[in-house]
Amino acid sequence: MAESVKVLPQEIQEIIEVREWDMRTREGVQRFRELKAKSLPSVALDDELVYESLIPMQEEMIAEIQRRFTAKNRDE
Amino acid sequence: MSATEAAKVQRFIYRTTGVCPQEIHFQLQENRLKNVRFIGGGCPGNAQLVSRLLEDQLLDTVVEKLDGIACRNDTSCPDQLAAALLAVRSGELAPMESFRLHRIEEPLHRIGVVADPAGQPGLWERLLAELGRRRPDAAICMGNITGDAAENEDWIRDLGKTDVILLQGERDWRYALREEPAGLPPLSNRRRDWLLRLPQALRFRLGERIGVAFTGDFLQHLQGFSDFDPFALEMNMVFSMTCCMQDTSVFPALEAMTPQFEAGIVVFAQGGGWGHWQVGGVDFVRVGPLAGPRKPGWGMLEEHAGQLRLERIPLSRD
Repeated sequence: MAESVKVLPQEIQEIIEVREWDMRTREGVQRFRELKAKSLPSVALDDELVYESLIPMQEEMIAEIQRRFTAKNRDE
Repeated sequence: MSATEAAKVQRFIYRTTGVCPQEIHFQLQENRLKNVRFIGGGCPGNAQLVSRLLEDQLLDTVVEKLDGIACRNDTSCPDQLAAALLAVRSGELAPMESFRLHRIEEPLHRIGVVADPAGQPGLWERLLAELGRRRPDAAICMGNITGDAAENEDWIRDLGKTDVILLQGERDWRYALREEPAGLPPLSNRRRDWLLRLPQALRFRLGERIGVAFTGDFLQHLQGFSDFDPFALEMNMVFSMTCCMQDTSVFPALEAMTPQFEAGIVVFAQGGGWGHWQVGGVDFVRVGPLAGPRKPGWGMLEEHAGQLRLERIPLSRD
């Protein structure tokens, strides 16, 4: 799952900050439970669980990131 | 310092900052570096190279060579190792005391399991009589040997002779550290020391499969506990992920993690009464208390044709 985020285009990489949690660690499991995730792999955007158990198509993830980015900037 | 103490191997874990590996594990013996392992990320080939080149090197020599090497974030894996050794030298990093793992190498087919005898010799005597009748290959007591019973002191003295494999539970551990809950009966220093030296986890073989038994999540809070210790993943999944298998909603995630397990059978004693789950090809067994609110009892784990069976056995009256 992390790989699918790392290969996003440069213009997307520039507007996001990626954090990967290692599920072997207590810190990773704690984050997993904070997000109320149920399965792996999981992706959260802005602390909200968005994708679970599936790797989204790149276009789908880009669209979701751009939607959130636009909404945030509009709010600001 | 005696010659024996001087030759003692001390194990350290250093939590890194600014580099890919999250931890560096290493040992020191007579001021010489041994078994360096960069854990949790980084370049495995380079890490092995560093580890091999530094084997048996003197601490001061290693620090001189590695200190200040930069890779990213103004530091590097070797620079972090140098920082770890400097921390050892200054006394900031203490030798680790992770959990004590006992091993039974010979394959077993039937194992008796019980938890929480809680200082009640009457129940223990009945259990031993049952074990004598049913004759498992081994019997494991999953901790909390001590309890709110006046007989703690004498009972522990007598336990020194038992064939039952005794694991340390959280209450025993707190007793050993003189941190037992208020109101529990006192215990002599000798008995506390005995409790402190009990194994805290057990690796065994049941049929063709490797099993691990551990008592409770206090192990994760021991000084020096690492998420990369043997069977730490199994503990993390049982205690932190599934809350002692009580949160079944996360079983899909548990199933995704079981391929990384070393154990095919995970036995633990926290979170309630008896239970048996099969997730991702792993058998999880929760051992209930001998001296619980329900009818006292123990369990027999039996392997047959690759399948694990848990038989719950109530204690008979005689």
